[in-house]
Amino acid sequence: MGRYEGDPEWDDVAPIPQDDGEGALAQIAYTDEYAEAMSYLRAMMAAKEHSQRVLDLSEHIISMNAAHYTVWLYRAATLFALNADIEQELNWVKDIALENQKNYQIWHHRQLLIDHLYPTISSEPRALQQLAESEISFMTEMFNEDSKNYHVWSYRQYLVRKLNLFNEAELKSIETLLRSDVRNNSAWSHRFYVVFSDPKNTTPGSRATEHDPKIPDEIIDREIEFSKAATFEAPQNQSPWNYLRGVLRKGGRKLSSQECFASEFVKIPEDGEECIRSSHALDFLADVWAEEGKIEKADEALLLLGDKYDRIRKNYWEWRRGMVKEEGVRKGLE
Amino acid sequence: MTFLVRGQKHRRKVVFERRAMAGSDASSSASKSVEDAVSGSSQNRQPHLAEPSSRLGDEVVDSVFRSQRVATMSATAARASMVPDLFTSPPHIRDLLNTQSSQIQEETIQECLPFLSGIEPGASYNDYGVPHLERKHHIQFLHKSLKKLPAPYVAADASRPWMFYWALAGLSALGEDISQYREPLISTVRPIQNVTGGFGGGNGQMSHLAPTYGIVLALAIIGGKEALDVIDRRAMWKWLGALKQPDGGFQVSVGGEEDIRGAYCAAVIITLLDLPLELPRDSPAWTNEGATLLTGLAEWIGRCQTFEGGFSGLPDAEAHGAYAFCGLACLCILGDPHVMIPKYIDVPRLISWLSARQYAPEGGFSGRTNKLVDGCYSHWVGGCWPLLEACLEGPSRPSVGESQSQAINLYSREGLIRYILCCCQDRTKRGGLRDKPSHSSDSYHTCYVLAGLSSAQHKWHFNPTETRIETSGNLASSYQWTCEPFVGDGHIYDEEDRVGTLHPVFVIPEGAAEKTRAYFVSKGGF
Repeated sequence: MGRYEGDPEWDDVAPIPQDDGEGALAQIAYTDEYAEAMSYLRAMMAAKEHSQRVLDLSEHIISMNAAHYTVWLYRAATLFALNADIEQELNWVKDIALENQKNYQIWHHRQLLIDHLYPTISSEPRALQQLAESEISFMTEMFNEDSKNYHVWSYRQYLVRKLNLFNEAELKSIETLLRSDVRNNSAWSHRFYVVFSDPKNTTPGSRATEHDPKIPDEIIDREIEFSKAATFEAPQNQSPWNYLRGVLRKGGRKLSSQECFASEFVKIPEDGEECIRSSHALDFLADVWAEEGKIEKADEALLLLGDKYDRIRKNYWEWRRGMVKEEGVRKGLE
Repeated sequence: MTFLVRGQKHRRKVVFERRAMAGSDASSSASKSVEDAVSGSSQNRQPHLAEPSSRLGDEVVDSVFRSQRVATMSATAARASMVPDLFTSPPHIRDLLNTQSSQIQEETIQECLPFLSGIEPGASYNDYGVPHLERKHHIQFLHKSLKKLPAPYVAADASRPWMFYWALAGLSALGEDISQYREPLISTVRPIQNVTGGFGGGNGQMSHLAPTYGIVLALAIIGGKEALDVIDRRAMWKWLGALKQPDGGFQVSVGGEEDIRGAYCAAVIITLLDLPLELPRDSPAWTNEGATLLTGLAEWIGRCQTFEGGFSGLPDAEAHGAYAFCGLACLCILGDPHVMIPKYIDVPRLISWLSARQYAPEGGFSGRTNKLVDGCYSHWVGGCWPLLEACLEGPSRPSVGESQSQAINLYSREGLIRYILCCCQDRTKRGGLRDKPSHSSDSYHTCYVLAGLSSAQHKWHFNPTETRIETSGNLASSYQWTCEPFVGDGHIYDEEDRVGTLHPVFVIPEGAAEKTRAYFVSKGGF
């Protein structure tokens, strides 16, 4: 006899077995325990019942299959219908998340919970701060397992927006992660978001790839210095190079404003062999030189990339050479 | 990658002994060290996939396998010389600073080198030092994936419809007849459809765009009136209206998350089923200014481009390969590639980021900056190239052989094909394709690695002059693609190893999307 079939609490429910269709493809041989629990969930959903026993049932199913979006969504609806204790739920979900690193649904569930909780505490600064601290410490635990977990980072962006965490503490916590792995591109991306979506200093709706005139110069300068310092640690790390380009674009500054810096990693003497410590520096300089109309120098850099320093991308570098020449011809005609 | 929910990855640690790094001048010593690594595991033609406790010391390996190595040495040396040193030696520039990212990157290079170098004992290679496609084993693997699955697959209970699509798309690419699945597919998906529109992950599950996308594509591949008539288009349209958000994007399920997968899946469904674009009155995006299912969608996609140039799953997150394909393919449904992509996207930044996804010596693509290569990005990243090439070339037609050299070619097809055939194939009896040599094959990777191979072996043209179906309806752009075999750089496989074509936007066999669309256009409204 199954767990629910013999339980008087469930006596009034007629379970709905799964209809898999005839000769179903990729049919899963469920355990009896899972099949029974799911048949009771189908009955609950059909009756639109939201009750404590639905919470117990969904907890049981999630323990067997945490990647079940229907169960999560129905559980959330039930929690809200019952006006259940959200903080207790947040704690319970923590453990599930730590056990299921790759799971999508948990993070959406958590957002629903925070959305629901937020209006009830939005006028209490202490409660908000406690919530932020506890969420961030939980994410730190998650990042100890996988510091590039896409779902956790997306949730982090949501939380920064929701709780207005565009602040020094958030930048510091990113720096801690970058100190342990300066190649953590997820942390770099998050920094870009925190700096360039901060409503205090930015134009609402400004796209990531466009100039935002509202950003103060000192912030642009600070971020340039931040990326440079990281580049010196490992010049072939592409993350800070991409970051630098992003910052310059946001600040509406020319790449050539950083020619000196990029030249630290690239020596191309008139005669004798060149010394290249970063292919990304060479890529950057190719754009600088194209920007300055130094077509031959740009072409030489792109050739070096395709022939020697980044050969797998030869076709791309060749395409860039074509673009630079075309641009040169166009400028020449003006 | 994390496009969808799957069971836990069964990553097994490869226990190659760490070697001293070979200098850039010494590809021969690199080959030597990778040969040692392989010979330590020659029993099963696989890297040694054991727990660290069973690690063999180099001495033991040497004494056990020395005789075999001597015997194969001359053949090996000859073969190694056919593989360009780009694929057998470490990158030219490497930083001294060691972090977790650089460490696992280094391990991945060491894991792949033996497979890339053409020196696996007992394996057969073509004239370019590339192994053949194990077509028969991969076909068997995919057939098996549609049979009854054991209890641990419960983790896939909510994503099972994907398996129908992965298997049918993969089998079609491999040239296998799939008509035997028509009846079972129809009876399998029928109880998964909800009367309120759309399909769930299984019977009684809420409708969700991902399984709905998988099922619509599977039905389109199988084709035929009976299969296509399973879909309740009117209910589907109502449900899509409920998912459409005022900011232009789509939720994946009612009350679920809004992301770029949702945008792509919704666009595919709307165009293939030729659904009306007007919004149902009860849609959360309904306005009295006449907003439609497509209002603001391209702008929403544009907001997903990040400062790096790639696409994130939703605005403000990190650029990721899977989302790049979703974003670009969605734009190519909404209009012509050379019009839509430059209108909403910074194309040079996107190409720069996408190009940086290809690594050497591995040859394959990674999904994000400073992450590892993974076979599935052969499609998610590799599949972006035909769309971007069409964006740059504008309308074009298949050439007759020689003039193909005029076409824009932005990545190393040779690198990708080497990674696929050398590193992604499980060449044991199990078959199937995989993330990288230390991972098990699965039907997800089998489908998307094959899709990447197909894309690398063909040249697509956006070719409005050769429109195959009547284009008077909405969203007709994606039915104007034509294809020819790719000649030139990267032709390092024998003709028998060419796989079938898959449509660059829908990723189903060429012709299936056109037929599906034509069927629903001919049916008219509901």
